[in-house]
Amino acid sequence: MFFEQLGGNLIQGVVLGAVYGMATMGLSLIFGVLKVVNVGHGAFIMVGAFVTLFLFSSLGISPIIAIPVAFMVGMGLGFIFYYTTIRKLIKAPELATLLATFSIGVLLEELIKLIFGSEFRGYNWAVGKIDLGITVLPMSKLYACIGSILIAVLLFLWFKKTRAGSAVRSVVEDSEGARVCGINVGGAYALSFSLGIGLTVASGVLLTMFIPVGINPYMGGGYTLKAFVIAVLGGLSSPYGAFFGGLVFGLIENGSYTLFAYIPGVEPFALTRFLSFVILLVILLIRPTGILSAK
Amino acid sequence: MKQIPKYFPLIPVFAAYAIMFLVAENMEGMWQLMSMLLFYCALGQAFNVFMGMTGYVDFGYVAFLGVGTYGMALSITRLVQYEFLGAWIIVIGFGLAMVMSTLLSMAVGAVALRLRGAYFAIATIGVNEGFRFLIEGARIWNGSEGMIFTADLNKVLGRDTAAALCTYWADIMVLVIAALAAFVTLVYMRSKIGYALTALREDEDAAKVMGINVTKYKIIAFITSACFAGLLGATAWALKTPYVFPPEVFEIHYTIEAIIIVMLGGAGTLLGPVVGGLVYGISKYYLSIFLPGFQLLIFAPVILVIIVLFPEGIVGMMKAKTKGTGMARFIV
Repeated sequence: MFFEQLGGNLIQGVVLGAVYGMATMGLSLIFGVLKVVNVGHGAFIMVGAFVTLFLFSSLGISPIIAIPVAFMVGMGLGFIFYYTTIRKLIKAPELATLLATFSIGVLLEELIKLIFGSEFRGYNWAVGKIDLGITVLPMSKLYACIGSILIAVLLFLWFKKTRAGSAVRSVVEDSEGARVCGINVGGAYALSFSLGIGLTVASGVLLTMFIPVGINPYMGGGYTLKAFVIAVLGGLSSPYGAFFGGLVFGLIENGSYTLFAYIPGVEPFALTRFLSFVILLVILLIRPTGILSAK
Repeated sequence: MKQIPKYFPLIPVFAAYAIMFLVAENMEGMWQLMSMLLFYCALGQAFNVFMGMTGYVDFGYVAFLGVGTYGMALSITRLVQYEFLGAWIIVIGFGLAMVMSTLLSMAVGAVALRLRGAYFAIATIGVNEGFRFLIEGARIWNGSEGMIFTADLNKVLGRDTAAALCTYWADIMVLVIAALAAFVTLVYMRSKIGYALTALREDEDAAKVMGINVTKYKIIAFITSACFAGLLGATAWALKTPYVFPPEVFEIHYTIEAIIIVMLGGAGTLLGPVVGGLVYGISKYYLSIFLPGFQLLIFAPVILVIIVLFPEGIVGMMKAKTKGTGMARFIV
């Protein structure tokens, strides 16, 4: 009984983990290239959720179509914020970019609240489900998982096969050297930042398939923390590390939920969120040098 | 003679507090606004001890206020049955608030202060979330139901005294905490701690090479700042509104407010948090009257503008303007 439950939850964990991983790739990409921690990460995920909600509820457009739309919206937002604020702060102390991305997050939350209101909303995308025996998997979640993997592969190919992708890689390697070789470093920064934001907003679309009624302007906060845990698990500056970190995190979260549910007198959901905080601190504690040297 | 000029910069700070107090006392209907302004000034002063002096941003700062609130709440609700203690449970509450915020800051500091910049911010951003979910998840201290202790307070102090404590004396205590935080900030600035932290803020590696024990001074500033937050939580939250709910006391927006106040006034200056607290508090108060619900929408771009265009804040600019004049002695 217990093992069936655990097995079922772990399957759900892998599916969710792939989406978590995808939701963190943007954060790691931006940190890897620009050394900027996007503290407003969750707010961009929230924007993606609202893009989905708007397209689906108001225009009747499928969430599958919402993925590229959200990606474009994210790229646009990325370029706007890069050229208005981030570009001016690259050389400033870390404090400045932290506060700036934080304020950008707050600004987005308040703008969305102004447009859509602050109540919880959701949508119902009924595309059937498959019964695996130990657990029932809605097709929408499976699509989200497949979508995440596809996007991760596309990003990998973009890095490997395109000129822009290799330019970004060379900037990560050595930004001064890249500049000497005639690479437009500023352009690579702008592109990476917007690409990171685009991926993050697109991941918001996929995440809505897991939270049928949890869409509201302040939903991002929890995802910011989760994304940090995942990014740190995966080594913070590597988008692929982030993807695998997401898988691991999904397994830990769902597995621990099963265990906590057996302890009487506790609230398992709140405890899984506490656990993710503990994981974050423990990783930072045991590997601070390792993680710092990755810088 | 040398000792007197050292504390000159406290004059404008204390003058501002005195004016706020006098306005609140003597002008009809101003008490509420002044108590809010005092809270913001105190919050800024307390936060500035760490963020302003070290340049590290603690995104989990509000957790210390929350823990302080719980310290007071626990003391009142758990000790109310021991009648011989009487009003001492308030004093014990302050003690407990300080102890609990010190312990939490030591625990968080032990992990987070090993990290720098971005990593420090990442570690602290989860602190208030983590603590809130521990309280809710493990159902400690009444879990997500929180604690309401109006009745307990009335029982111990009597209805009239309890009401006076909530509406008058709690605000006076906030004033005392604000003044104390300003004093401690100046003492730190003028001692080895301040010089060490300035060196650290400019270049941590260089400071280390110079033989400064940066970790020690960072921890001192971190714990001091957290202690003031604990006291502030115990007064401005627990005593003024005698209840505590986890989602409210661990609300990250208070951290943003603290950051805005310090940045607006000028990080690492003595007068900055007071100026920032006044400007922020007054504009928030009037915005909430004229444009209710839009405060954050307006403040978020304001912070962006400050960071990009005026990273030194208001007092930082004043400092640059008054350099070399007689005023410079007062503005630090």
